[in-house]
Amino acid sequence: MEPVLDMQLDWMDQQGSWGAAAEPSKQGLTLADIQVGAYGDVPEESDNMTGRPRGAGARPESYRIGGYSVRSKHEIWLENASFLYEEALQRQWSSATDVPWDSIEPLPDDIEQAECQLATFLTEVEFVAGDVPARWISQTTPDYFEPRNVLLAQVMDEARHMDVFRKRALANGGGLMGATGGTAGVVGSIDLARDFTEMSSRLHISGEGAVLTIFRMGELMAYNEAEKAMYRLCAQDEARHVAFGVMHMRYMSETAPERREEIDCYLDEAERQILAGSQNPAGAQAESSESLAILLGGGKDQYDEGVNKLIAIRRRQLQEYQKRVRSAGFGERFDNGRSPIKEMLAASAA
Amino acid sequence: MAKFPSVVWFDAVRKVFNGDESYQGAGGGQCNCVAGMKVGNKIFILTFEGLECIDARDGKDKDLEEVDFYLDMPIADWRAMLKNIAENNRATRDCTLNTLDLDREDGLSTSRHGDQYREDLFFRYNQTFQFFFDASARVKTSY
Repeated sequence: MEPVLDMQLDWMDQQGSWGAAAEPSKQGLTLADIQVGAYGDVPEESDNMTGRPRGAGARPESYRIGGYSVRSKHEIWLENASFLYEEALQRQWSSATDVPWDSIEPLPDDIEQAECQLATFLTEVEFVAGDVPARWISQTTPDYFEPRNVLLAQVMDEARHMDVFRKRALANGGGLMGATGGTAGVVGSIDLARDFTEMSSRLHISGEGAVLTIFRMGELMAYNEAEKAMYRLCAQDEARHVAFGVMHMRYMSETAPERREEIDCYLDEAERQILAGSQNPAGAQAESSESLAILLGGGKDQYDEGVNKLIAIRRRQLQEYQKRVRSAGFGERFDNGRSPIKEMLAASAA
Repeated sequence: MAKFPSVVWFDAVRKVFNGDESYQGAGGGQCNCVAGMKVGNKIFILTFEGLECIDARDGKDKDLEEVDFYLDMPIADWRAMLKNIAENNRATRDCTLNTLDLDREDGLSTSRHGDQYREDLFFRYNQTFQFFFDASARVKTSY
């Protein structure tokens, strides 16, 4: 029967490439599987200011809805973004049900206070780690939706990290301690970055790389299965964020070599601060390092032993940072004397 | 009864691990890497793809140059870890892979290539590897 109501149907003439028939791979229908035909073409420069999905037909009369400052591929791209995104979605966990909270039992006061101090610090830091990438998502053209999606997943991860440490602080008769100011100074300055790579080098490589080591070491200072699970699961997420930074920096280095000196300057700045200030609880002058040493040692009475373990964490942070920067393509700074990391390692061994 | 260490043993663990959907959530899940296991002088190569460990095979020392990372412990330490898992149905505090890695001066996980991006896969998929070895609690093991 013919419809009685009028239809325009002119929208049918506005379409992207037609006839796509993406097929699922072994891991389901992933973003990588739908890079078919023109839909897989990522422009080196994007003039898309209208929120148009990549590959969709353009709407000439559209308003500019996005003030996208990131419109050059090399500014944000990485080769494995769609892969990291799928991995992030698939490896989510729940701080409510995947942490065995019932394994927590009363702890000596000094241990509980130290645990709560560290949890307070990490809650502060995770706020920044969520806020900063969130700002860059809205700054990035939809043509580069793969890295945007990874950053969106990171924001979700950081929200969970923030909530799991808050839960730990409130789960065992303690509570939040004084704010450490860990988000002032260098960590806070991440949000002042005017360029995505500047932000990523500070956040993903130096900041989250250092926190990854602390999360991994969390198992050494865990007093129950809940804390052990909490740190291990956070470390997995953090390793994914670090992977984003390493792969982006590698892509930037290969496709925009004219920016290498500028990136080396970001790394100079990060390395001057890596063990200073209050942003790194394993750092030399961190306010929260005392609580970390008490946890590692097993109480105030074993503080010296805790400090020795803290020095070991510091060494690992520096070694892993150095190897990640090498992996990102900036290893020569450790060979030509530009980086102070070797001296820092020597000092921490003394 | 499967004898540790052997491909037969790793295959038996693979079967339990791949068949239990609970290992695909709770921080486990998609995992793509090739990992070496150095048990004393014996070497085994495990391939993880998607949600499964798709292959376990004997390896040679040269194969360790190609894997993303490998776990290296004396055979007595492997046995102690597996006995802890068998007794508790999963690794308890001092016997998790991450703790064993931290307890060693040079770590449990290492590589020949030195690329931290690839070495980081041990951290990125740590819960999956823990689930894999935890699955060995359901494999009757002889030594």
